[in-house]
Amino acid sequence: MSQALIELVRGKFPDATGSSHRGDEVVTVPRERVVEVIGFLRNDPAAEMKLLRQIAAVDVLTFRSETTGGGSIASIEAPAYALQKKPSVEPRYQVAYNLYSITRRQSLRVRVELRSDDMKVPTITGLFRTADWWERYIYDMFGVHFDGHPNLQRLMLYPEFVGYPLRKDYPVRKRQLLVPELDFPDLVRGPGPGPGGAGVPMSQTHVGRANVDPNTYD
Amino acid sequence: MTEDPLTLEAELPTSLMTVNLGPSHPAMHGTVRLTVTLDGETIVEAIPEIGFLHRGFSKSSENSTWHQVLPYTDRLNYVSPILNNVGYIMGVEKLIGIEDTERSQYLRVLGGEISRICDHLTCVGAIGLELGAFTVFLYAMEARELLWDRIAELCGARVTVSWTRIGGVASDMPPGWEQKLRDCLPRVMELTNEIDVLLTRNRIFVDRTRDIGVISAEEAIDWGFTGPCLRACGVNYDVRKAHPYLVYDRMDFEIPLGSRGDTYDRYVLRLEEIRQSHRIVLQCLDQMPPGPIIIDDWRYALPPKKEVFGSIEGVMAHFKLIMEGQQVPAGEVYVYTEGANGELGFHIVSNGKGKPYAIQVRAPGFPILSALPRLIKGHAVADLIPIFDSINMIGGEVEQ
Repeated sequence: MSQALIELVRGKFPDATGSSHRGDEVVTVPRERVVEVIGFLRNDPAAEMKLLRQIAAVDVLTFRSETTGGGSIASIEAPAYALQKKPSVEPRYQVAYNLYSITRRQSLRVRVELRSDDMKVPTITGLFRTADWWERYIYDMFGVHFDGHPNLQRLMLYPEFVGYPLRKDYPVRKRQLLVPELDFPDLVRGPGPGPGGAGVPMSQTHVGRANVDPNTYD
Repeated sequence: MTEDPLTLEAELPTSLMTVNLGPSHPAMHGTVRLTVTLDGETIVEAIPEIGFLHRGFSKSSENSTWHQVLPYTDRLNYVSPILNNVGYIMGVEKLIGIEDTERSQYLRVLGGEISRICDHLTCVGAIGLELGAFTVFLYAMEARELLWDRIAELCGARVTVSWTRIGGVASDMPPGWEQKLRDCLPRVMELTNEIDVLLTRNRIFVDRTRDIGVISAEEAIDWGFTGPCLRACGVNYDVRKAHPYLVYDRMDFEIPLGSRGDTYDRYVLRLEEIRQSHRIVLQCLDQMPPGPIIIDDWRYALPPKKEVFGSIEGVMAHFKLIMEGQQVPAGEVYVYTEGANGELGFHIVSNGKGKPYAIQVRAPGFPILSALPRLIKGHAVADLIPIFDSINMIGGEVEQ
């Protein structure tokens, strides 16, 4: 059934490659074609993939080299810092679109591979409204830019967050600096202790463990 | 009728006002912040902001062994944790290419359906509570407590159960438990019927929920809705029927469908799903075969304690599994099960080592919450609360 879907896509787009693992069918398409392919799958009567289940991403940087086992935090963290200086594995990122057809009860994954020096994918928010948050989520966690997205901002993390936590070279226990309190006037108590207020930035008043250099670890 | 110009309503000059709801607000389940722009009482625009409960589920999971991820999945949807356990562990089993034992499959369905009842009771109770029907909430909580007590006896914990294992489940039904469950189920259904009687034809409740937060079927699919919220629009998609997993193909149950896609339909649908889940639970108890609850493959399943302490093979297998984790073959799968609020998906990648290489969760509430501005636009502030209740967003899974 789903093999037929791969054939369908390959018949229309010869530069797509199909694969299958444990019953999951995947087509890998060039980045430029992603909107075209997903739009085709959405509207073609033989596919009718109207439901975008999820957009996921994978960073394959350590796919071959990662050591086994649980181990201690230190043993998994040290390589992450070492990785930041090593050459990358290309294409390093994969973005996977899990599509489903409610009417035809079939699913297909469309995969795009990205090089780390050019992490841009055209947005599919024009095809699926739900892609809005999924793309923001992938941008938040991996730093993949979705060209043409109407509001590409961090979704779960805050704007001041530095780095992209689901990249494999982001250490598990990396710390982030405390964010200074915004200069937001309080109608009752007057201005807060923010940069423009009477006080000093929060990061200076609250000298704690969170204030260490984010590039060091215990 | 001719209109007297003097009685026509004059246009009141209003200006837009921005109101912050949440992140810590009794009506915001979990910690969602809504920045609502109001024109009088009408919602012009709403911007949800999530992430206050973000705990780094994916990152933590990638640095844990396959079984160490289980407690994290409990905390995704803390109202129906067994469904999350089952969803995740089925993904790992799909990567390995094994199936659990028959009795374990029945136990998973049994536990999962009890959890689904709890989840729906929570949702229905919360709708009642926030529309002023406190009695309904107390009835729902009584019923949920009865079931959570049974879950505690079965799994050893009320909420953080971590009950499934690769190839099976952690514990079998304790002696006498089946009878206890059979004894408490009639009370649960009685309370559900009480809620039904109190709310379903209640004029105040119907007025507050009928035609509130309407969404059409096409639009709901476009927004990625699944589960009760999609079925309330009349779309027949339930993973348990569309792609039966475990032993759902042996169960006799129906998928209730709504027609209008409004808050009332979402509520009625959940009540009906409680009854269907009740049917499944009873069928599970009747059909449950005897046998082992976990597979006898020590590459993936922990050996029994007798073997660990009594034989060298047992202690070696135990050591390898705990220290190195299961060596799950490399691959990438997307596994989907029917969670309480919709399709619960896990996108799992393994590189053949003892830890998941990448995990991302498709929380059923995530797409639905992203459509919240669409659902509440044009309604009054007071309608925001029942709409937000009826989508039953769970902060733990949406914000991961």
